[in-house]
Amino acid sequence: MDYQFPQQLFPSFYNCGPPNSVLKHCAGNWGSYDGVRPQCDLDSSSSWTFTPRHRTRGEIWRHTEPAPVPLLSPRDNPSLWPLEPPDPLKFTEHMENFFTDYCHDAFGCMGDILGENFNFKHGNKARHPKDSVNMSKMIKYLDLLKFKTCPVAHYSRPLHQYRAMLSDVVHDIPPQLLGSLLHEELAEQRERLLFCESNTGGALAFVPFSEPSSEASQQGCLLYPGKQGLHCLNFHKVDLQYHREGPSFLDASSSTPFSFQLKGPIRQIGYSSLFNECCVAVRSHYFCGVWRFSETNEPRLLQVVNTKELATCISVSPHVLGEVLVASESGAAHLWTVGKGMQKVRAEDGNLYFNAKSSWTWCEFSAHPRVMLYADRTGVELTDIRVSPASGHTLFRISSSSDCRRGERLILAKYLGDSHAFHHLITTQYSAYIMDERFPCVPMLKWDHMMQYPPAFCHVVPGFAYGTAGETRTTKVLLGSQCAQEITMLQYSGGRAEACVSLDAPQALLRPKDSLIHLPVQIAHRHETATNRLSSPAAGLSCIQKKAGGGSGAGECLCILQLTEAGDIFYQILEPEQPDSDASGLPAAAGETQPQRMVKEAATSGRKISNSQLVVTSSDEDIVGPTQCVHRVVAETPERKQEEQDTDYYSEDSESGSRIRNLKRLHLQVVVNEDPELDQESRPDVGVTEHEGDNADEHRIEGEIGSGTSSLNPGQQQTPAKLSNNALVTWKHWLQKLMRKSRQKKSRPHHPQLFSISTKGLLQLSSKKGNSSEKTRVEKLRQHLKSCMSARSLLVHSTVSDTLGAAKVVPFPNPVDTDAWTDPLSQRLTLSWQGEEAWRAWWEDELGLNKESKAQALRRKRRKEKDARRAAGNRLELSGSFTSSISSQSELSDFSDLSGWSSAASQASWSDVEDRGVLSQLARDLKRGTATPSTIQSDTPVSTPAATPQYKPHEPETPSTSHTLSVSQSTPIRQRRDKSQAEDYLNSLFAPQVDQSQNDFLEMDSTMHAPPSSSNVASFSQLRSSQSAPRSSIRVGSSRDVFVSESPSQSQSFSQSSQGRQGLSQSSQPRKKKSRMGF
Amino acid sequence: MDDLERELGPLVDLEDDNNSSDDNSTKRQKRNSLFVLNPMCAEASGETGAHQTQTVCLKKIREAMLHHRWQEAAEYMACFPQMLENRSASQHYKELLWRMCTEILHHFPNSTMEDYMNIYERMKHSGVKHYLMICLEHSFHLLLHGRIQDAKQQLTAAESWRYGHESAAQLHRSKLIQAYRSLLDYIVWCDKKATNSENNHLDCNNDDQGMHNYFRQASVNLQEILKNPGIWDPFILSYVDMLEFYEDHEEARNVLNNYAYDSSFPPNPNAHVYLYQYLKRHHAPEKKLMKVLKILHVLVPSHELMLEYSSLLLHSEKQSDIEKALGVLLEMLDFACWRSNLDVWRSLKAVILKLQIQTDWQNAVGKKMADRKDWWPTLHFTSFHASKDSVENPELWEVKASLTKILCPDRNLKYSTEQETNDGEKHQASETLAKKSI
Repeated sequence: MDYQFPQQLFPSFYNCGPPNSVLKHCAGNWGSYDGVRPQCDLDSSSSWTFTPRHRTRGEIWRHTEPAPVPLLSPRDNPSLWPLEPPDPLKFTEHMENFFTDYCHDAFGCMGDILGENFNFKHGNKARHPKDSVNMSKMIKYLDLLKFKTCPVAHYSRPLHQYRAMLSDVVHDIPPQLLGSLLHEELAEQRERLLFCESNTGGALAFVPFSEPSSEASQQGCLLYPGKQGLHCLNFHKVDLQYHREGPSFLDASSSTPFSFQLKGPIRQIGYSSLFNECCVAVRSHYFCGVWRFSETNEPRLLQVVNTKELATCISVSPHVLGEVLVASESGAAHLWTVGKGMQKVRAEDGNLYFNAKSSWTWCEFSAHPRVMLYADRTGVELTDIRVSPASGHTLFRISSSSDCRRGERLILAKYLGDSHAFHHLITTQYSAYIMDERFPCVPMLKWDHMMQYPPAFCHVVPGFAYGTAGETRTTKVLLGSQCAQEITMLQYSGGRAEACVSLDAPQALLRPKDSLIHLPVQIAHRHETATNRLSSPAAGLSCIQKKAGGGSGAGECLCILQLTEAGDIFYQILEPEQPDSDASGLPAAAGETQPQRMVKEAATSGRKISNSQLVVTSSDEDIVGPTQCVHRVVAETPERKQEEQDTDYYSEDSESGSRIRNLKRLHLQVVVNEDPELDQESRPDVGVTEHEGDNADEHRIEGEIGSGTSSLNPGQQQTPAKLSNNALVTWKHWLQKLMRKSRQKKSRPHHPQLFSISTKGLLQLSSKKGNSSEKTRVEKLRQHLKSCMSARSLLVHSTVSDTLGAAKVVPFPNPVDTDAWTDPLSQRLTLSWQGEEAWRAWWEDELGLNKESKAQALRRKRRKEKDARRAAGNRLELSGSFTSSISSQSELSDFSDLSGWSSAASQASWSDVEDRGVLSQLARDLKRGTATPSTIQSDTPVSTPAATPQYKPHEPETPSTSHTLSVSQSTPIRQRRDKSQAEDYLNSLFAPQVDQSQNDFLEMDSTMHAPPSSSNVASFSQLRSSQSAPRSSIRVGSSRDVFVSESPSQSQSFSQSSQGRQGLSQSSQPRKKKSRMGF
Repeated sequence: MDDLERELGPLVDLEDDNNSSDDNSTKRQKRNSLFVLNPMCAEASGETGAHQTQTVCLKKIREAMLHHRWQEAAEYMACFPQMLENRSASQHYKELLWRMCTEILHHFPNSTMEDYMNIYERMKHSGVKHYLMICLEHSFHLLLHGRIQDAKQQLTAAESWRYGHESAAQLHRSKLIQAYRSLLDYIVWCDKKATNSENNHLDCNNDDQGMHNYFRQASVNLQEILKNPGIWDPFILSYVDMLEFYEDHEEARNVLNNYAYDSSFPPNPNAHVYLYQYLKRHHAPEKKLMKVLKILHVLVPSHELMLEYSSLLLHSEKQSDIEKALGVLLEMLDFACWRSNLDVWRSLKAVILKLQIQTDWQNAVGKKMADRKDWWPTLHFTSFHASKDSVENPELWEVKASLTKILCPDRNLKYSTEQETNDGEKHQASETLAKKSI
């Protein structure tokens, strides 16, 4: 009797101004009645009763499971969804990523132009013009920038200078522009993630089939988008199986979906059915399509239209099949008669009532087939489309007449033809309104829905009369938001002879993103993947209503389906609380209950909650009897039992069942995390069927659980704190499948890589000599090396001679003619070979510290000579006195030991590359501290604080480049380079011998003595050697080796020359003159 | 159009300034304006210690209440007010506390009147801003539990309550309180009237005097509230009832006319219904009745009274009224709720029969059907409808079938075909649909 209008409405003020009330608290409309209406019983005039506008008690619907259950198995690769909406202020991070990931786009043009002038490569000089700047040092620094480094420690002055010089020209896109664009984009993305306008209405629909096949089931067709990007429209027959005592679930396995591939993502699915024929309208961004199907006929595409503007709404006529309303962003609404074309019925330039800065429009049908609703963010108009300049009158507007709040905007309008022919649901971000189109402007009902995000989806479950006593079910309004996946259920009744009355407080339903806490614990990265997937925003909401079969209301349930943007569908089943269980659950009326006392005292002062009360906190039970202490005792056992069963179940398909059983004793839940590969049996594609295979096990478990829970109080049993086994199994398979899918496609790592040395090139055997005997020999050598290291001994030739064969006797390189080098540096260097004492003596000589002692010694000597002369009458050479300062014999033997080692290494016939490999391995081992200290360590400084740059194959240590040293030096540049190379060699030659104490000394010296004016090459090179020694340890080690093994002649010549010079200096240069110098 | 926006703009800023607990993020949220961040649940950045605990506790309570876990909410609630004492509790917190406490009490099976009393009285006196609102709600609560006298006391007390500056909302609330008090006066008046009629005029004078007092008390306030635009259905009914008893027809008609035709009032269909019923009760001429119904027809063409309107039109002398009646009935049949209503179809048939006496009746029908002819057939006369009507309501089927040719003479409709086997019908039906949709 929809044509009846309520005889009396609730009193309220009407004021058509702009809204000005402000939300001040988060309690909404809790606790208030919102007005009453008197009713007079006609038979006895004295009995007046009152009806409140908001009735405090409504129907109580309980969840059958504590978490929603996935309907389908995850199909496509999960893409990572940002859990948090992006912060527009973090655009700099995105710029960084762009510069590193797409450097060619970011710096391409200027890079090409400037590139010719910079030489970032060693060696191949020919390609670059002569005046190009060598950036080989810079490249090392730049390589380091890939890692997280300390900006203070790693500071490059030249880079800083280049930045100052070039920073405004190297960008292809000016960074200011890029930054502002990125900020804008991120802000938009954030907004879209928080609320996606185009998804309004939701892309999930359920079309019930008229005749239920059996008492316990409700069949219908589920329409949902599938595949990646929601491009595929699926028609899927599903069957809701509901048993009050047994398992109830939604079965999607009985048939395969009938799908259509579309060209764009599906944004909205609308349908209406008349006489069992169903018309389905689908909206994508720029096209709309209409399908037709029925229970017996397969879905058939009727027509598709392209829209010039972005379509914002599609709605199917509930009156005439094949009439569809399409609204677009331009503000136009079209009536599309399928097969006949579109007819523009309304066009609007701006917003209806005030400028809301939004081009979103919406349209719906109304009770009259030729009157439609035209809505935007500011309000709703009823438009008669028969008259050509379509005129409208206001149905709803944001104003104080409907108690709107400041800033309130309309989100969604929906015609509730199924529940009441004249009712419309209008939602804003704060409230939900029921409007009666016969009484425009004033809402019949208003709720504060208390959702955090605007409700963009809704589904209305019409109320109906049931039973014999004329009981009626309330009409339920389900509202869903996108971002937070909230679903809120509101109940109301009336609207016909009686005025609308809302019942109960809004009830929040379960969200998929909260379901992980009800599942066994996941290991971290899986948890992350699952959380990501589960918290993707909602994209649709629907509901399956299963009415009671037997008229008693026993088999009634609601199955609420929710679609997420990842393409998953989750469902939760609600069942009404039975009146009989209500009665049994009621505590004895005598005495007041705990909660009451608590609330009472809440008004006065707080009170500590005793332990016994805390036990029941997790239950949804609102009725707690005086027997709750008993509950606590009883509840322990079945719960533990179930836990054991759970673990038992999971251990069945794991290989190491005994291990898990052991763990079970420790009360650890390892369960779902076992490898999905372990149960690789081919699973059917649809998730729900998966537990069908395990039926036998489940039955056993259910039986046990049944017996376990039978001892529970019925009131406790009604609100499950734990997932049922069916649901657990479904969840388990869903998660496993998700993990398998996610493994297939790894996303780009988000975390910065750890700084590591690439050893790929180092460990490669050269392909030329890579025969098997070589390999085995190398293997043996490695073993020797290892054993030596573990024994803390040197790897000398004698130990490896059997694998390497007889050592080729290399002639001892020509000794350096120390006399040829007479400068003080060469002198000192020559002397330093003889040990520290000799070196110190030289210094003392040089600085004249031992003048007196020398004089004394000389005097003594002369005296002795005199004596001897006197005695023997012979004449001896004076010059022999200088050799007295030669170092002791023991130090010399040390050096000979070292040279023995190096010669053994040099005599090995390894290739240079191999050599390097072994050494670098050694160095790495040393660095890691795995190798035990040995005598080798004294040669290679272990204390390398800074990391060593990795080897490049074209480093100058290769034999070919070292060979160039011996050829004639032609160009001045090359000469300079060679000279620096020679210096390098020199350094490398000395570095191993610089032991710790000497090093310290040198450093100390350098800080003490090195004046800025000092231009002495020798001092500079030594300074450098002391500084660079720790950094280039590997290089030093190998280069020396190279030096010794590959080009013995040069080393010879160097040592010769240095010795020669020393000799020269010794003989010719005056000592006093040098005393001022640092060294 | 932009006025509203202009008005909204600065107010938002003001609000931001006022709300000290808002941090930057909530401000940004508000700019977006579509996202609700509940001001009290939002954690302020600088919150520490007790305040933070309080916010967390509030969140927990809210969460539990939204999920209808009343027990859990009550347990948290026990801790909450203690913390409230730390803060220089603002009015909003008091309202919040009151709302949550009462809602939790609503959902406990054994909550007694004393519990409610406790909370209502306590919260009522904790702040001046919410005194009137809580008083009103308290009286509602009493009324719903049948304690009319107590409720009246509450309302009388609230009526005399004065506190400084009154905001617009408070003004409205005090007016509502007066009106509800008058409604209760009316109820007492009704009771007295009933006892009077039973007692057969014993002590007539005394009781009459009492009754009259109640009438005077009530009428002052009811008159007052009826001047404000709004929906006052229960109030106007009681007022008119009293006026009728004292035979003040002038005032009654005035009040009802004003309620129905004042443009500042919302277009309440009931206002017209009350006027119509009043006129009918007092045997007003048909012309007046039709005038009321004509206006109602413009407002709500699908109203129940349109049946009466059409019959009035049918029985009027004027020729054009029959066509009007046809239009009224056809318009009713446009609406989904009347489509299978036998009465409307019968009266339509009656109208058409009467119309057929005229010579150019086909023209008249054609004119009315002109803009309906492309969608009426699918709305009423498909073979689906035929099969459904013939099964559910054969009488309706007969009436409709007889009218098809008259209403849509140029269409070959499947409605009037004989009842066939189910299969044949279905086949035909799908054909029709296919034809229509292609």
